[in-house]
Amino acid sequence: MSEGDLLHVVTADRITDQRRLAGRFVIWGSVAVLGLTALLKSLQEAGTISLPWATWQPVLYAYVLFGVCLCWGQVILKGEQGKRLVFVLPAALFTVAMVIFPLIFGLTIAFTDWNLASLSGRKFNGLDNIRQMWGDPFYWNAMTNMVWYVLAIAVEYAIAFGLALLLNAEIRARKFFRVAFLLPLMLSPVAVSWMIGKSMMELRFGPVANFARWLGWDSPSFFGSAGVARTSIMVMDAWTFIPFMMIMILAGLQAIPKELHEAARVDGASAWQNFWEVTFPLMLPVSITAILIRVIFKLKLADIIINVTSGGPGGATDSVTSFIFREYRDRSNVGYGTLLAMVYLVIIVIAMTILMKLADRWMRPRY
Amino acid sequence: MKVGLYNMVTGNMSRRRMLQGATSLGAISALGGLTGGLLPGAAQAESHMDVRAAILKIPGVGNGSPTDADWQKVGEMTLAATKANVAEGEFAGVELTFLGLNNQNLHNFLFRGFLKPWEAYTGAKINWIDLAQADYNPRLQQAIATGTVDFDIIEMGAPFEGDTAGRGLLDEMPDWVKAQIEMDDYVDYLKAPVGTWDGKTYRITVDGDCHTFAYRTDYFGEGSISGMAEAPKTWAEVQAVSKAVKGQTDPLTGGDAYGFLDPLKGWGGFGFYFLEDRATAYAKHPDNPAWLFDPENMKPYVNNPAFVQAIQDVMDTMPDLPPDQINADPGTTAFQQFLAGTGSMICWWGDVGSNARTSDSSVVGDVVGFSINPGADKVYNNVTGAWEELSEPNYAPNMAYLGWGIYVTNRVSGDEKKRKAAWSAAAHLGGKDISLWTAAYPSGFQPYRNSNFNYDEWEAAGYDRAFVEDYLGSNADSYNHPNAAIEPRIPGIFQYYSVAEDELAKGFAGQYGSAQETADAIAAAWEKITDQIGRDSQLALYRASLGM
Repeated sequence: MSEGDLLHVVTADRITDQRRLAGRFVIWGSVAVLGLTALLKSLQEAGTISLPWATWQPVLYAYVLFGVCLCWGQVILKGEQGKRLVFVLPAALFTVAMVIFPLIFGLTIAFTDWNLASLSGRKFNGLDNIRQMWGDPFYWNAMTNMVWYVLAIAVEYAIAFGLALLLNAEIRARKFFRVAFLLPLMLSPVAVSWMIGKSMMELRFGPVANFARWLGWDSPSFFGSAGVARTSIMVMDAWTFIPFMMIMILAGLQAIPKELHEAARVDGASAWQNFWEVTFPLMLPVSITAILIRVIFKLKLADIIINVTSGGPGGATDSVTSFIFREYRDRSNVGYGTLLAMVYLVIIVIAMTILMKLADRWMRPRY
Repeated sequence: MKVGLYNMVTGNMSRRRMLQGATSLGAISALGGLTGGLLPGAAQAESHMDVRAAILKIPGVGNGSPTDADWQKVGEMTLAATKANVAEGEFAGVELTFLGLNNQNLHNFLFRGFLKPWEAYTGAKINWIDLAQADYNPRLQQAIATGTVDFDIIEMGAPFEGDTAGRGLLDEMPDWVKAQIEMDDYVDYLKAPVGTWDGKTYRITVDGDCHTFAYRTDYFGEGSISGMAEAPKTWAEVQAVSKAVKGQTDPLTGGDAYGFLDPLKGWGGFGFYFLEDRATAYAKHPDNPAWLFDPENMKPYVNNPAFVQAIQDVMDTMPDLPPDQINADPGTTAFQQFLAGTGSMICWWGDVGSNARTSDSSVVGDVVGFSINPGADKVYNNVTGAWEELSEPNYAPNMAYLGWGIYVTNRVSGDEKKRKAAWSAAAHLGGKDISLWTAAYPSGFQPYRNSNFNYDEWEAAGYDRAFVEDYLGSNADSYNHPNAAIEPRIPGIFQYYSVAEDELAKGFAGQYGSAQETADAIAAAWEKITDQIGRDSQLALYRASLGM
């Protein structure tokens, strides 16, 4: 224990060898119970032995017991230092149970041939799912669409920045506009799909379609051809999420000290120079954060597509998530669907890491 | 009866007409009682008629939607069949779990009411699992796949028989149940092999389903814009009408006139039924029950000339469809187009007929007619591999989805008392008399017995006979058609439909070179699914579902 740690120790525990032994016994005893329960249940599942356990609940109870014993053991073994650990351990154990274990379980499913309708159940099939994915035109089509959807964030960012600047300026009814502009974010994407996509943009009676007709567009079909349909989806999604970026940028703008702008003005900077040389660089950290979070949201885009176009026409609006949804829900193809989701997760993690590294470099102030 | 249909046939009824109906019913009841007394030999039949007439008075046509108290009354009045087979209190101590739907607050809600008097009489107790339609399929498949079937009785559609009966998860129906529910009364297409696997019967039917052809009567007749005296009887005529009316004005709405409405966008697998509407006429040969897969090797028929012709027909008619049809799913074609006055012909389930007069957005109530799905001038023979030209059209109504049934799972098989209780409960719900009530009042179920089409009973109860005859008649004609195209009850059937929708969408968007290429892509995807689920087992189950 370092000197610094000792300064914070309230009660100095005397940890005897006997106590240490008891602590280890509590921890390793619970590990043994957990291991034994898991082993017995596995053997029962494999049909080797017969047990009255209908579900995996006994293993769950054993895990809870292990968690309690692990915490208790820390206190016995390490005294006050152990009590500190107890503040963190339950959260860590909960994360293991709710994130790490399902992830490992998901990975084991991803490498199996598991169609819920198949009489033979789950079968390990090595890399077959990856091979299938490699040759699956629907998946790669969805992936290409995702590139377009993500690129659209650049435009969304520009609009959000513009709106934030507007709301940061001394305009009338500023508070009203701030709330009004936030409204789309409060709507469920499913509601947006029906109210906007399937009603307002409907070809025959939709007011947006009628307006487009009045402007001279003969047959304003917003979801009829590939390019227009993809753009329409982008617009609807942007309409929902621009307020999110806007509010983040607005918060950043309000945090910039007024003195900086005043000093720039005193130095003779024009309005543009004031924005480009002062505001924009100072806003980079907030902007990058807003864009990163928006990218994460965008990569999960599915609800609007599922409701409005079902991925059509001919897959033009399909996102990876909406494709996985069809593969999983409509076709009960659990193994392949899980693999697609896992690969997508890996791609997202890699892409986000690269993006964050780049962002880190960009965010260094230029002055 | 579907809720919309009930609203339609009761909503337009005058008070006078309702009184007429009530009087007739009263007369029938009185007569029944009288003749029953005078003619002891016919007493049972007469009392049976009494019950039928009496339950139709609960709550009475035009008296608003039935409530739980009404369902319980109906359940009580139709208990005679149960009492004949079960002693009072015979199932005391038995607990059963029933899994079903909660759509529109019907289905399980009705079953609860119907079974309350049954529970009181037999002493059994039922626990309920209510599911929304969207949760039903995943819940059932996960229960099956993970070996966690936790229900004794299940309300289930026939397409899932492959997933359940095919895996041995169901209990075979005892003979006394067959007698109690009078299975001979079922419409033809719901008789075996539907409800059976390997010759064993598992299903108590409580519903029927099929697609019928709905058309606008004002598009046909002398001086009509189609130039045809009558509604089309074949798909070739349908195509001709679609071409002929393009560019003309709709006689009802004054908007652009259109012909047949094909949904070009998928609908979670259900969209494939609409290609089948066209395809069955070409693909379902009267001599061969198989029309979707080869019963020798499970090779899909979906890329044979018959299906290619159907896909080609859709592609040919695309220029004549309303704009943006590429983005119209079956729900759009029925509710936003046909009922709203766009287009003149559609194939759909009963909802189109039932909504035609009552839905606020429907404008076609007075100009809608019904018939069985159109036929074709030629039919493809999968055995000879050649088209057969016909002097009379080949009709093959599409029995899309086959309706709901009640099944008992094998959880009760080891306990004779529990087993009898489960089957008794299911038989009560699938009884002959109770079916008349569910056909006539909002229940979520359609008629499914020949006795349900006795229009005198409907008229006596106060229904509009002309409408009932036209609309329900098209259902009856489809149900009993000798060449009806019955849906294969194999595991994962909706997986096949779902992937077909994706490929069709690509075909309709012009991403494949031809109808044949589109059909080949579907066939290739179907082959993959068959291999994944297991070709041998699929083949065996397919043949079993065809009764081969």
